[in-house]
Amino acid sequence: MRILVVGGGTGGTIIANNLARRLSAELRTGKVSLTMLSASDRHMYQPGLLYVAFGQMMPDTLYRDQASLLEASIEFHVDPVKHFMLDERRVKTQSDRVFDYDILVIATGSRMVPEEIPGLVEGSETFYSEAGAIKMYKALRNFKGGRVAIVVGVPHKCPIAPVEVTFSLHDYFKTRGIRDKVEIKYHYPINRIHSIENVAKWAKPEFDRMGVAYETLFNLKEVDVQNKVIHSEEDTEYAYDLLISIPAHRGMAVIEENRLGQAGWIPTDRHQLTMEGYDNVYVLGDTTNLPVSKTGSAAHFEAEVIADNIASIVKIGTPVREYDGKVYCFIEAGHDQATYAMFNYLNPPDLKPANKSMHWFKMSYNQMYWSSVRGLL
Amino acid sequence: MTSQIEVSDRPAPPSEPGVGPAELARLSELATLVTAAQDAMSDDIVTRLSAALNEGMILLDRLTRNQALMRLLHTLERAECQNLLEALAEALAATSRDLAKGRAADGGLGGWVRLLRDPDTCETLRLVSVLGSHLSRNLQASRAPDSSSS
Ligand SMILES: Cc1cc2nc3c(=O)[nH]c(=O)nc-3n(C[C@H](O)[C@H](O)[C@H](O)COP(=O)(O)OP(=O)(O)OC[C@H]3O[C@@H](n4cnc5c(N)ncnc54)[C@H](O)[C@@H]3O)c2cc1C
Repeated sequence: MRILVVGGGTGGTIIANNLARRLSAELRTGKVSLTMLSASDRHMYQPGLLYVAFGQMMPDTLYRDQASLLEASIEFHVDPVKHFMLDERRVKTQSDRVFDYDILVIATGSRMVPEEIPGLVEGSETFYSEAGAIKMYKALRNFKGGRVAIVVGVPHKCPIAPVEVTFSLHDYFKTRGIRDKVEIKYHYPINRIHSIENVAKWAKPEFDRMGVAYETLFNLKEVDVQNKVIHSEEDTEYAYDLLISIPAHRGMAVIEENRLGQAGWIPTDRHQLTMEGYDNVYVLGDTTNLPVSKTGSAAHFEAEVIADNIASIVKIGTPVREYDGKVYCFIEAGHDQATYAMFNYLNPPDLKPANKSMHWFKMSYNQMYWSSVRGLL
Repeated sequence: MTSQIEVSDRPAPPSEPGVGPAELARLSELATLVTAAQDAMSDDIVTRLSAALNEGMILLDRLTRNQALMRLLHTLERAECQNLLEALAEALAATSRDLAKGRAADGGLGGWVRLLRDPDTCETLRLVSVLGSHLSRNLQASRAPDSSSS
C-alpha cells in the first residue's frame, strides 16, 4: 500500500510520524510505503511569530530541519505538488515527477491574502510571516504614542490571535511606560468581538479593564495609506498612526488551481476527514472546509484520527475512529497570563480566568511542539 | 421561641475537619512557598527547562525504539560482557599510563622484528584475530535473510 502525504507542516508531519510508528512492521517488510512531498526543507513553529513581533523570541528558534523531524522510514522530498490527478490516483510535482498512491493525505495549509484589500500590504504591520513579525517589532519599538488600530479579516488561521495581539500590545506599551500615550482600537468583522461566542464574552470585560476600544461589524474595505485612515464596508472609518492587521486567508493556490475546493478549502467529511467523493483521500489542518478553528491543535487531533484510520485500514481493512471537532487553544492574555479554550462540534469552550501557570504551560508547549510533531505527545 | 426550640432540637452537626491556627499557619507557609517559586521562575527558565525536557524525551524515544541498541543493552547486561567492559576500561587506563612512561617505539625492520618477538604482541595479535573472526561470523549471521524478523 502506497501512502502519500502532501504537506510537511504541523498536520502532515504529525500524521506521517504517527503512521510510521503505527505501521513500523509493515514499512520494514515493504508491505507499506510512506512518502512525504513538501514545499520546504524547513519546518516553522508558526505560533512563535507572535512572540517575535514583541521581541520575545528570535526567529531562528522557530525552525527545525524538516528531515530531522521525520521517522527514518518516511521517504521525504522537497518537491511541491503542482497537479492532483485524483481519479488516476497520482500527483505530479514541480520537478515533473509523478507519484502514484493508494491513499493520499492533503495537508497543504493556508496563506494570507492581504493583497485583496487595497493598501493593506503597504499600510499595515502583520505578524503572520517571519519578515512581517520582525518588521512589526521594529515598528513597535519606534512607536512613541498615538492611535493603534487592529483590523481582522476572516477566515484566518489561529482565530485567537486578534485578542492575543491586543492583550500583548497593551502589556508591551505598559512595560515601556507609554500606555497612557497610546489609544488602542480593535476592529472585528462580525457583530461581537470574537467569532467564538464564549471567547467574546470573556474578552469584552478584559478589553474594558485595559481601556481598549472596539468596533464590531467592521469589514475592512481599504486602507488609505497616504492619510492613514482605514475604511470599512459599513462606511465607517478610523484614523491610525500604527495599523496591525490579521489578513483574511485562503487555502493554497495549488488547491484552487486544481479545483479541489473553493478558495482553497477542500470539502471534507466532518467525522471521517475524507475528501467528499474520494474515500482514499484524507484532508486535515487549515485546508479543510470544516467548521473548526484553523489551528495547529485541530490539525493535531485530526492527524491522530486519520493515522489511526489509515493504520486500521492496512491492518484490518476498515477505519475505526471519527473526529469530534476537538480543538484546544492556549490564549495568551498579555505577557504573563494565559488561559485556554477547549471545544468540539457539540460543546462550546468554557473559559477560565487567566493565570500565570497557564502562561508557563504555553511557554512549555512552545518547546514541546517539537515532540508533538514527532508523534510523541 | 420556636426557633430556639428548633435550634436546641437539631442534632449536633457532624464535626467539620478542623482548620485551627496550626493548619492555617501551614497553609500560609505552603502559599508562601508557591509564591516564592513563582516569583523565582521566569519565562526564560521555564523555556530552558521545557526545552531540556523536550530534547530528553526525544532522545529517550529514539533510544528505546532503536532495536539494535536495545539488543545491545540486553547483551551488555550479561555478566561476562560487564567483565569485558571493565577489563577494557582498565586496559585503556593502563595503556595510557604505559604510553606516557615508555619511550617511543623504534622504527625500521629491526624494530618490527623486536616487537614481533615480544610474547605480549603475539597474544594481542591472537586476540584481535579471534575477535575479527567472531565479528565476521556475527555480521554474516545478521545479513542472513531470516534474521531481520527478530
Ligand atoms: C502567527 C500565528 C499564530 C498561531 N498560533 C497558534 C496557536 O497558538 N495555536 C494553534 O494551535 N495554532 C496556531 N497557529 C496556526 C497553526 O500554525 C496552523 O493552523 C497549522 O500550522 C496548520 O497546519 P497545517 O498542517 O494545516 O498547515 P501548515 O503547518 O501551514 O503546513 C503546510 C505545509 O504544506 C506545504 N505545502 C504547501 N504547498 C504545497 C504543495 N503544493 N505541495 C506540497 N506541500 C505543500 C508547506 O510547505 C507546509 O509544509 C498560528 C499561526 C500563526 C501564523
